[in-house]
Amino acid sequence: MKWTDNIGRGLFEPERETSSGELWFFKFFELFVAVYTILFVWEWGWYTQLRNVEVVLPLGLANYIDVSLFFDHNLALFNAALITILVILCFFRLGPKWLYMVVLILFHLQYVIRFSQGEIPHSQNLIGMSVFCFAIGAWFFPGAKQIPRFVMGSIIFFIGLGYTSAFFAKLIGTGFNWYDGRHLWLWISEKSIDILSREGFYHPNLLQQMALNSTAVASVILLIGWFTEFIGFTLWWKKIRPYTTTLLIGMHFGITLTMNIRFDAFVIQLILVGYPWYKLVDHYLTTMPDSVRRWV
Amino acid sequence: MNTEQTKRGIKVIGIILLIYAVLVATHEGEFWPFSIYPMFSQAGNPWTRAMVIDVTDVPDEIMWQLQNPDQKTGPPVSMREIGVDQIDYSNFISKTEDWTGSRRDAVRLMFGPDNIGNSRWMAAKVHGKMIGSDSVAVTIQPFLLVTADSVYMNPLLDESHYFRGGH
Repeated sequence: MKWTDNIGRGLFEPERETSSGELWFFKFFELFVAVYTILFVWEWGWYTQLRNVEVVLPLGLANYIDVSLFFDHNLALFNAALITILVILCFFRLGPKWLYMVVLILFHLQYVIRFSQGEIPHSQNLIGMSVFCFAIGAWFFPGAKQIPRFVMGSIIFFIGLGYTSAFFAKLIGTGFNWYDGRHLWLWISEKSIDILSREGFYHPNLLQQMALNSTAVASVILLIGWFTEFIGFTLWWKKIRPYTTTLLIGMHFGITLTMNIRFDAFVIQLILVGYPWYKLVDHYLTTMPDSVRRWV
Repeated sequence: MNTEQTKRGIKVIGIILLIYAVLVATHEGEFWPFSIYPMFSQAGNPWTRAMVIDVTDVPDEIMWQLQNPDQKTGPPVSMREIGVDQIDYSNFISKTEDWTGSRRDAVRLMFGPDNIGNSRWMAAKVHGKMIGSDSVAVTIQPFLLVTADSVYMNPLLDESHYFRGGH
């Protein structure tokens, strides 16, 4: 068997029949992505309207068009409204199969409008990648039983790729000594200024104090996180996936504790795609009364 | 998905991967939502962030001087309380190379003249770096004094701090 076949079987599970539980869970996941997409575009739209004045760092399409045009006249809010309507149409499978692609382009535009101020956040990337996978899935695998497999499989592929890519970015950017605990001291002090400025006060928590008091503790924290990123690609195989997911969630909690960076949407999405929730839904569907099951 | 559709799925992912690689390679690693996830990849480097200190009651001869986080001239202004994203503000201050009049005024508008009121707020750069092999030194450099209607540059800093682009 070719290695691509092996990855394909891990991601798309061709031998497994599509169950009702899988279809229900997929629709729930799509709702989750739709809700976060709508939340993000409005949050970004309002912030842009209130705060953005000049483009400091053009990202993506902002390298080719002047996104400062969207800072006034409520244009970022109009874009948010348009995305909201299109996402709802896509969710109910109304409109052409390329509609999700339009959502993706407008979503990208809203991101580069909002984040033209120098910050390059990544906490919304998973939702963005999910919309991207829905766009590709709706276009190339529109069948009711095909789209869930392709979308979930491709999202898992890109999540795994992203983590392993982050591992190599650190290896190339710094070298094998990336996990030196003193690097964590610098990051903790950097984030402490962000917290002090954001909240008006800052007190290090227990884990931060332990890391700041011992190079060894700080090094172990970095090493565990770095190793966890490396094994991100093992998400591609379904038997290992729940274990890798658990480690990745643990790593994100570790980052939150040491560097005060939260990844709410990221972690919720990991929980949703990393475990076989469809089995639980199938279990409830088989144990519920006949009348309810027929309705479902 | 059957076996044939699975093979097609892998081919589609392969094509996406190619597009992904081209876009991030030509856009410094970022073409949202594609990314090489470079955060924290360059460890050990000195850093620069930004904060705001309320210097309303601080004498002029002291407010421009270099400080450290334990001995600030005034209390920090909470960015959350004035509705400004801290990371945005910090990047705006640390990544701007040419502090033209409009860029300086953009800081005032970002804070919001109504939020500033009769106060005087000091937008400060905060620098951190390793000292020797066992400690981190953090210094606060007052940078722009912002009032409800004006913005002033630090008279103790020469022009190269504000116009690295040569304007």
